[in-house]
Amino acid sequence: MSDPNMKLQKVVGLINQKGLDGLIIYSRGNCFVLKPFYFYYFTEFRPMGPNSAVIISKSGDLLLLVEPPWDCIRASQKSWIRDVRGTSHFLKDLRETLGKFNMTGTVGIAGAGEMTYALYEGIRQEAAVELVDEIIEEIAKEKTEKELDVIRKTARIAEIGFKAFLKYARIGIREYELLAETEFAMRSAGADDIFNLMGSGSHNYAMHAPTDRRLAPGDVVIGEITPACEGQFIQLCRTVFLGKPGPVLKEKYSILVRALGESLKQVKSGNPAALISKTMNKIISESGYAKYCYPPYMRARGHGFGVGSIAPGAVIDDDTKVCLGRHQVVIVHPNQYFPETGYLACGETILVTDTGMERLSDTETRLYFNEG
Amino acid sequence: METMQPTLKRGRDVWDQINMPEAEFLERVRKIREEMQQKGMEVLLLYGNSLNEYGDPCYISNYVMKMPRGAMVVITRTGEVTLICEGFSRDLPEVKNTTWVENVISCENVSQRSVALLKGKNLIPSTLGLVGLERFMPYDQFQFFLKSTGSCNTIHADDMIREMRMIKSQREVDQIRRASRIVTRIFDKISHTPFSNINEKSLEAVMGREAYLEGAEDVRMLIAKPKEKNWTLRPLGDVPLSADDRVILYLAVEFERYWAEGMKTFVLERDSFKEAPVDIFNTLYSQIIQNMKLGERISQFYKETVAEIKATHVDAISDYCLGQGIGLSLQELPLLTEEETNPFREGMCLTLRLAVKNGGKGPRIIGNTIFLSKDGPEVLTQA
Repeated sequence: MSDPNMKLQKVVGLINQKGLDGLIIYSRGNCFVLKPFYFYYFTEFRPMGPNSAVIISKSGDLLLLVEPPWDCIRASQKSWIRDVRGTSHFLKDLRETLGKFNMTGTVGIAGAGEMTYALYEGIRQEAAVELVDEIIEEIAKEKTEKELDVIRKTARIAEIGFKAFLKYARIGIREYELLAETEFAMRSAGADDIFNLMGSGSHNYAMHAPTDRRLAPGDVVIGEITPACEGQFIQLCRTVFLGKPGPVLKEKYSILVRALGESLKQVKSGNPAALISKTMNKIISESGYAKYCYPPYMRARGHGFGVGSIAPGAVIDDDTKVCLGRHQVVIVHPNQYFPETGYLACGETILVTDTGMERLSDTETRLYFNEG
Repeated sequence: METMQPTLKRGRDVWDQINMPEAEFLERVRKIREEMQQKGMEVLLLYGNSLNEYGDPCYISNYVMKMPRGAMVVITRTGEVTLICEGFSRDLPEVKNTTWVENVISCENVSQRSVALLKGKNLIPSTLGLVGLERFMPYDQFQFFLKSTGSCNTIHADDMIREMRMIKSQREVDQIRRASRIVTRIFDKISHTPFSNINEKSLEAVMGREAYLEGAEDVRMLIAKPKEKNWTLRPLGDVPLSADDRVILYLAVEFERYWAEGMKTFVLERDSFKEAPVDIFNTLYSQIIQNMKLGERISQFYKETVAEIKATHVDAISDYCLGQGIGLSLQELPLLTEEETNPFREGMCLTLRLAVKNGGKGPRIIGNTIFLSKDGPEVLTQA
């Protein structure tokens, strides 16, 4: 993550710019792949829950409040914030801190979406509240070199995960066993969280958590292989056929590879994110599958990844209004349902650059198959 | 015990209808409707959110959130039960594979969709029982719900469900027993496996693999190394393990929605983990288990336990609490505290932890999942 002093300096600057008395960055301990984790980004400490917050005054006073109280030792070790306090009475201690930091006029909250009613109203009794997620979004929107190092390391772990997925996707293994082996490979390589989904069968409709199903000859096995390190997720969307793929499957998959390739040509800092989706949908539509490019068959054609910001957003589709920005990490996935083959997975995580994009994985995007 | 919440529940996700048949859920709905009648409720809404707080809606529907999203079960006095879950419509077939509820609705905002459902059924105004909404729902959703149901009479019904969930049915106990077996096997595995050049991360990978291969739906782990300055339980990190390290491991496993947990203290001798030798600490722990007598007030048990620990001349570590109920959540009622008003009752499943600074050669923690049957306490997480 970025230089802590720089982060604090920028946040204090934005607090003052907005005329706030201070900022609360809150977490309930939830980590959601499609949402930024502001608290983790700012503190560099991933909390367990149920409640944690960092309180920053407009003059730069700083306190990290952690529940359960025994986890404050880890918080002190992980975070750059020196004033760390464990608590069993979160709201009471939070309100006391607001008073101590003279934050009784208007305070900003980042991560308020996770707050319960009692907590939110409890803060409102102490000060007026303004929702300011954009403060963290602003400082986190462009990944730093330090973050990029972690992202590249995570990309290597994703490739290790895919190799395991390919190795174990064999006739007879159960879905949950396949993902256990995939996860083991990625954990052993250093992943600290995992978001793996899959599907198997002769005709898939979506990806899901693994079931008891045993893989069978002729199965199309699809996977979203998604390790994380320090909150940075990388995803590979892959399809493995069990047997020798027939011409129909090969032809449909080649449409996706082409759609991916053409859409990646649209990626460049400053270009509209919607171009990714429009390019993909054009190619797939021209192949005769226009109706299958939109809900209920398809939803997003990609999304951002990151700890402090998932810009360009949680959904990239034809209607996305924002432009791509330098050093955004984006999964581009023409995952697609075809009536002839079912749902197929195809996707790469890329880094947006000033001149185009950088693919973060080395494995080839193609239809994989395991015979025998 | 608080643990790190993963980004996804990613283990085996099935509804085994032999282990937990539809009849079990229908009986729960029948009991709830009886209580609704007695309390004058026309609708009961049960809300859950995130990977830790799915218990109440799951108790009725068997649906579990795999990501931090909300879900609501809506029970009216008669007619069908409804499950509303945040997520995408294309995920509905998978949701329906794991619930007996036929009316399943996906949405972006569970609060708005619940209000729409109530309006559609002409249940605004009416008398609503609320479970979990105030405790877990994001504030903006709850504000909307309160505003939209302002003409309704609302009853806080958390206690009603807590009471039901506190006493486990035979099938629930069997599920916790299955989860407990996985915990036991993993501890057994690591104490019988030679490791070379192991660090905490690779130990976590090995334990996770075993658990998921055994069919775990979710796995949580913590470690403590008393050799470290200011040691405490924490997630496993990229930290080496060295010979003679005393290692305290916490392991919780969820199997088909139900949790079990265990804690053990090991010593890493050369390339293998040896369980800390049996001594006065184990005797003390066994005695405390025997004190979990049906009918005894838990507050009294707590006081007696504290006295017993003192009499043994060991210093207790109170950070992690003595224990609490376990089932669909890692933390449910009753709490093993001085304030608990319940007595021990047949059918309770509990965790019991004992942490001391000077048990035998050094700090020790032991923890197990315990079932209170009519014959007394039974340790489920023991080989």
